[in-house]
Amino acid sequence: MPKADGARSGVLPWVVWTALGALAAALAIGLVSARLGAGFEPASALDRALLLYGVGPRIATAILAGAALGLAGALMQAALDNPLAEPATLGVSAGAQLGLGLLAIAAPDIGGFAREGAAFLGGTAAVALVIALSWRRGLDPVTVVLCGMIVATIASGLSAALILANGDYLFALLIWGGGSLVQQGWGPAWAIGAALIAGSIGAALLARALGVLSAGEPGARSLGAPVAAIRTAALGVGVLLATTVAAEVGLIAFVGLAAPTLARLSGARSTRHVLLAAPATGAILLWLTDGAVQQFGTGDALPTGAATAFLGAPLLLWMLPRLRMADRPGASVRPGPRSSARLVALCAALALLVFAAALALGRGPDGWSIATGGDFLALLPFRLPRAVAAAAAGAMLAAAGVVLQRLTANPLASPEVLGVGAGAGVGLAVVLVTAGAASATLELAGAACGAMAALLLMLALATRSRLGPERLLLAGAAISALCLAAVNAVIAGGSAGAFALLGWISGSTSAVGPSEAIAGCLAAVVLIAALAPLRRWLDVLPLGEAVARGVGLELTAARAALTVIAALLTAVASLIAGPLSFVGLVAPHMAYAAGLTRPALHLAGAVALGAGLMVAADLLGRTVIYPYQLPLGLFASLIGGGYLVLALRAR
Amino acid sequence: MLETALALGVTPVAGAELRLFAKAAVEPAIPAGVADIGLRGGLSYEALYAAKPDLILSSPWYAAREAILARIAPVASYSIYEPGRPPYVPAEAATRALGERLGRRAEADALIAAAASEFEAGRARLARFATRPLLIINLGDPRHFRAFGDESMFVDAAKRLGLSSAWVARTAFGAFPTVGVEALAGMPDAFVVNVGPSPRDALDALGSSPLWRAMPQIANGRIVALDPVNAYGGIPAARRFARLLVEALSAHAEG
Repeated sequence: MPKADGARSGVLPWVVWTALGALAAALAIGLVSARLGAGFEPASALDRALLLYGVGPRIATAILAGAALGLAGALMQAALDNPLAEPATLGVSAGAQLGLGLLAIAAPDIGGFAREGAAFLGGTAAVALVIALSWRRGLDPVTVVLCGMIVATIASGLSAALILANGDYLFALLIWGGGSLVQQGWGPAWAIGAALIAGSIGAALLARALGVLSAGEPGARSLGAPVAAIRTAALGVGVLLATTVAAEVGLIAFVGLAAPTLARLSGARSTRHVLLAAPATGAILLWLTDGAVQQFGTGDALPTGAATAFLGAPLLLWMLPRLRMADRPGASVRPGPRSSARLVALCAALALLVFAAALALGRGPDGWSIATGGDFLALLPFRLPRAVAAAAAGAMLAAAGVVLQRLTANPLASPEVLGVGAGAGVGLAVVLVTAGAASATLELAGAACGAMAALLLMLALATRSRLGPERLLLAGAAISALCLAAVNAVIAGGSAGAFALLGWISGSTSAVGPSEAIAGCLAAVVLIAALAPLRRWLDVLPLGEAVARGVGLELTAARAALTVIAALLTAVASLIAGPLSFVGLVAPHMAYAAGLTRPALHLAGAVALGAGLMVAADLLGRTVIYPYQLPLGLFASLIGGGYLVLALRAR
Repeated sequence: MLETALALGVTPVAGAELRLFAKAAVEPAIPAGVADIGLRGGLSYEALYAAKPDLILSSPWYAAREAILARIAPVASYSIYEPGRPPYVPAEAATRALGERLGRRAEADALIAAAASEFEAGRARLARFATRPLLIINLGDPRHFRAFGDESMFVDAAKRLGLSSAWVARTAFGAFPTVGVEALAGMPDAFVVNVGPSPRDALDALGSSPLWRAMPQIANGRIVALDPVNAYGGIPAARRFARLLVEALSAHAEG
């Protein structure tokens, strides 16, 4: 759209952003004047205190935090040359949340700086881990984001497990997770302001070097630029900004991702311009959102941090077709020596072995035991449905992962990226909030409706605006963030349904009965079987658009069909295992790395491995902290994350 | 239902979330022999099976699990907390129904009568607070609390003590939208009652933060902090709350 390009670099963006800024300011003035009497004096001592320690710092914090997150996102995206990079994708936010949760368990009575410090340490530890894991590969962008996703999923799984293991004791963590900007003093504003000043100086120093990097890594190397050092420094500054915001006000979704993207869409071309424009964009976004939340919200029922996703995600979705992005060939996974059906059989045998263990092994008041005879039969009704459902979920996620990774030629694509699993969560949330106590069937129906809604939205986007692989990922990430923000808002509301949703997010199989298990199994068989006739598409699509067209593939139809199947697979699986398991990412990787490169074998191997992984996760989840249970999704992500860490180190 | 069963003189073989119960509900103390079967939302059916119960007490919140629980033992489900109704009368009904089921009708009636007479006595002692609306909250962190509304046991119990509630806004499931500190400014006449458990730093903020201190209730010392009480309990929890509230308020100078 060349015409739109011309308009974008002109006056229009300035007008739009000035108008948005003015709107934010108007909302803020409304809030301030509500506390002012005649002659611009506070109407009472109470109003004065509210202005000085509540309204004032909140405005400052919104602006500063928005700017800090915008800058953090811009730095991270420039450092990684990846439009999906932001504090969340690097594990920073999840790490900070885990740090806070751990402190609440270890020393519940410690307050003040210790809490902020724990969040900071957690975020820093997460990103340090990510950098350590990807160091050997020169902080290659794809590897960094992959590691970031592993670390983030493990950290948020552990956080959810902590909340579950302590009932409603971690109420504070819930609010914090929602990112509320309510203030009771100037401390957070000062802290974020200080970080922002430090970050701005860092960004100014790095802007030139990052500009050189953006011209391409080989070019930068040939100019003698220390590529890894520049990236580490930019990431470090971004992390400082993001963890300070996370520590002071909690998780603010989407600003770090949306601000630099919107800055580029508004005409910021060079790295320097993006670094300048992103903080301004972020500040206006957050200020406006916070004003709107206070104007239209009741109490703190919707935390600002969740509301930013409602503003930012649709904006991003709307602008996606207008986003300029090269359809780069994805970084490939190096396959092992090419191998055969015998390997698939081995994978299947392994999965069966794990399944048998899941039925026989258990832990009771007297320790581990292998159930035999009558006990085995008596326990079977509890163990069999879980194991079957877990196997079905693992198989479906693995199949969806194979489809998505081949469809997008992107090793980062995994079912959760589609946003369909998260959509199921919204459906579940609606059912739990409106019906209160809900039966399993009703929960299932709600989740399925939510999944279908997310799926239809994805499809509309994919077909109407002919999304290429990267845009599809970005659209999925936006929908996913939107849906998870909605679910988090319900959780932060603290209703009784919140615990059911927390359970769902971490992936708990404890409510699975025989009917759910049978349904899951049937869905797995039908949907995976439907993929068999499409395997040629899976072979051709990763080679790129040109090749696919060259062999006469109807691209739009092929993509739509595969997307539908992948979305259905994900929807059913997420009802069983939650949205956050790693199996859809790991199982296809494992199979591919083992040498199963042809589509049919890749699919079969991944399905067997996915089922085995998930069943093993369920077995461990119910035994490790008996009689308390860890959620399936958490253990799946721990196993999968462990594998990915090893795989990355080996390369 | 755990505490109600104990109050009727029946010691269960197992209960859910016993660790949290000891921290957040405090009384009654759970006897040592009672097995923990994990979280309400993620019960260990295997632990429950190992405990070999004769009867499982549940609530409609866990309707989704009932078919599975019924494989282990018959399930009796009692509903106390439902949207749109104060919980005390349903809690009395549940106590009677449980007494019937366990063959402890007399104990159930005695428990209900004892609670009623305690409330009557408390009402007399708190007469001077009758015109002072209570804002019953649970501090979550230094900036937020949850406010208990008409569907909560705390507000219902306070009303039975002749008091009124300052929280009139919408509540979800008996309690608590997440409320920011500044909401206190909207109800300057209220007397604030914090029910534990609350984190240490949140309680500290009451005395140290300028915004909290600027709130009329805090500035005038109209606040008491109670020990933890089970927010979703039955008659025993209501009694504990009433006892703690009567003790705290009658020791308070304001009236």
